[in-house]
Order: sequence, then structure tokens, then C-alpha cells
Amino acid sequence: MNDRVKRWLKDGTIDIFLGYKMVEGHPLPHCFTPKRLEEVDDLIVGQARYSLEKMATHISVEKPGIKIGMLARDCNQRALNVLYIWNQLEPENIRTININCCPSNLKEHGDCSYLEPETSGQYKKQVGLDNTADTKTLESMDSKERLARWMYEFQKCIKCYGCRNICPVCFCKECSLEHEELIGTGVLPPEVPIFHLVRAVHMAGRCIDCGLCEDACPADIPLRLLYQKVNEIVVDVFGYETGTNTGQAPFSILGDKVTLEPKPLSAG
Amino acid sequence: MECRFVPSVCSYCGTGCGILFEVINDKVVGTLPMKTHPVNEGKLCIKGWNLHEHINSFMRLKDPLVKTFGRFIKTDWDEAIQITADRFREIIEEYGPDSIGVLVSAKITNEENYLGQKFARAVIGTNNVDHCARL
Repeated sequence: MNDRVKRWLKDGTIDIFLGYKMVEGHPLPHCFTPKRLEEVDDLIVGQARYSLEKMATHISVEKPGIKIGMLARDCNQRALNVLYIWNQLEPENIRTININCCPSNLKEHGDCSYLEPETSGQYKKQVGLDNTADTKTLESMDSKERLARWMYEFQKCIKCYGCRNICPVCFCKECSLEHEELIGTGVLPPEVPIFHLVRAVHMAGRCIDCGLCEDACPADIPLRLLYQKVNEIVVDVFGYETGTNTGQAPFSILGDKVTLEPKPLSAG
Repeated sequence: MECRFVPSVCSYCGTGCGILFEVINDKVVGTLPMKTHPVNEGKLCIKGWNLHEHINSFMRLKDPLVKTFGRFIKTDWDEAIQITADRFREIIEEYGPDSIGVLVSAKITNEENYLGQKFARAVIGTNNVDHCARL
């Protein structure tokens, strides 16, 4: 892996490489450059998982056309596919080193920090939702109970916007969650369940089930479960499995090439 | 193209969440929670998520300002400190040291906060010291 990255950086296949490096005992994302080639020896896969593709979009906004190499776990790869479809990154500018990380036919467990989702406590299981439950279990409950359980989860929200900020496929210039007429400002919890359902609807055909949102949620809301259901509907209705290919999404206008602009960096 | 990820600690409150600044071309463009940090375990509140904004804010003060005839005028540090010292002396003489209070900040270091309270107690002569992160 390290030799390949070195070779790519040397022969100009890529200008920079996004991977991980141990810094003071923490596996942190790191940007490897041809100028400091010796650093590539420290390149690791790491247990922690950051959205490298989101960082790649930021870098391409700053310097369009830059050739970026990156480590790509299964979830990164799916996110990249979605970003290609929605014109946030150009496939010819990205080179990946693929790592099988999610559970697959070959292995039962994932290799990332989301390896074993935390087990939910008794109270949460009783009145809320178990984060490890699947959509089938949920649908076996009657709708009143389901609503009550979801509302318990939603009202814990502290409106940190972490789910949106960490999401690799959230790149809209204007976010509905910041629209004053849709979501009132200054109240906690935010307007439930509108806040979460607005986001859930927008995740249809976008969410690549990486679980970063749930991982970043300080209130432990089972967001992944919510978006899984949304995407189940997308599969049922359109037969479209988000992130598995770079073909046209059912949510883009027929026959049109997507010309969405990349989100500008907020820093002034 | 220079892109760095700088680990740091959130300066908003006393919790001490681990954060990661995303720096592109020497400009801080984003804040991320540090996944492996023992305090926040990859989570942040809304203030932490927006920590980079005050660095780049156009409202950020970069020069000392002195209020003269109701308007803020830019000045240099020597003059600003001299004016402040003169006014402090006048106020202490007229109303006593307890008429002055010192507010320190979470955005400065522990050592600077120490100096702040030392300044209040030893120089001004008051116990009126407080801090914005006294949660």
C-alpha cells in the first residue's frame, strides 16, 4: 500500500494522498504530499473513520482539478459514487486504494470504529429505540407505539447539526435545516419531528449507510435506522441502490447532466 | 496545495472536547470532532462544530480600539494600555478598587487566566474576578 502511494506521488498520478497517520496516539487523517515523501512510511489504515471524501471535496473547491488519492473503505467508496453523480467530485481526479472494511462474505465484522455499535441501555430499549434494531423489528410494532418511540428519540436532539456536518453526501449550498420558515430558530429541542424528517427525506437516494451521523450524534438518536428505512423505499420504488454505482440517480432530472455546484467553503 | 489536520481542544467550555481543525492553504475551513478522543468520542455540540468561524470572522477585532467622543478609534497597544492604566488609576482613586471587575475568558490559556486574576488581586486590589466558562 505504502509503496503504491509513494509511486503515485512520485510519478504525478496524484498530487496529494489522503490517508491516516498516528499523531500523539490518535489515528488522524493526514494529507501526504510529494514534498514529504518519507511520511508515507507512516501511512496507516487506522480504526477511526473520517469522511476523507468530504475533505477531498473541500480541497477540490479550493483548487479545482487537483488529483487526489485516498484510502477508501467500502463506505468511502459508496460516498464517492454519490459525489460523482452529484457533480461534487470528478471521477478522473480521484484515485483510490480500496480497503474491505464492512462485514462481507469473507469476514463477519467491520474494521472501523463503528465495528460494534454501542449497546443501548434498558431505559432506551423500553421507551425509545435500540440503535442496533432493524427496520423489520420496527415495523412489527403498531404505528402509535412506533411514533411514541421515535418522538422520544427525536426530543433528545440538541440541534448540533453534527449529523449534517459530518455527512459525506451533505453538500447543498443552502440547507433546509437552516431555513427559518421550515425550522424555527432558538428553541430546543428543534421542531420535532420536522427537523429529523426533513433530513430523512433529503437522504433518499443520497444516504450511503455509513453510520457517521449516528456515530457523531451526542443524543444517540438511531439516525442510521431512520435513513435505512428511507432508502428501503427508494429501492422498492426505483430499484436504485444508493452508492453502488455511478449511474444516473432517479432523483436527477431525466437525461440531464447534473450541474450542481460544489458547496463553497464558508471561511471568509 | 497545503492541507493539514490539526488536533486541538475546544475552547468554549470546561469539558475539553477533542477537535480536529481542517486547514487548507493555511486557512482554517472546518472543525471536526476527534473520533478517538476520550472526552467526546467523536461528538460535538453546535458551538464546537463552528469553532473555526470566529477565527475567520470579519467581526474579529485585530487592533485595540479606544472610545473617543463616543466613537471607537484604532490605536496601537502602547497608547491603549497607557490610556487604560490612567483611567484605572483615576477610577480607583475616586471610587475604590472594588469598583473594578476583571472578566477573563475561556479563549485564553490557563496561564493567561492566572495572570488575569493576579492582575485583579495584586495590581487593582479587588476580588471581583469571573470567567465566562464557569458552568
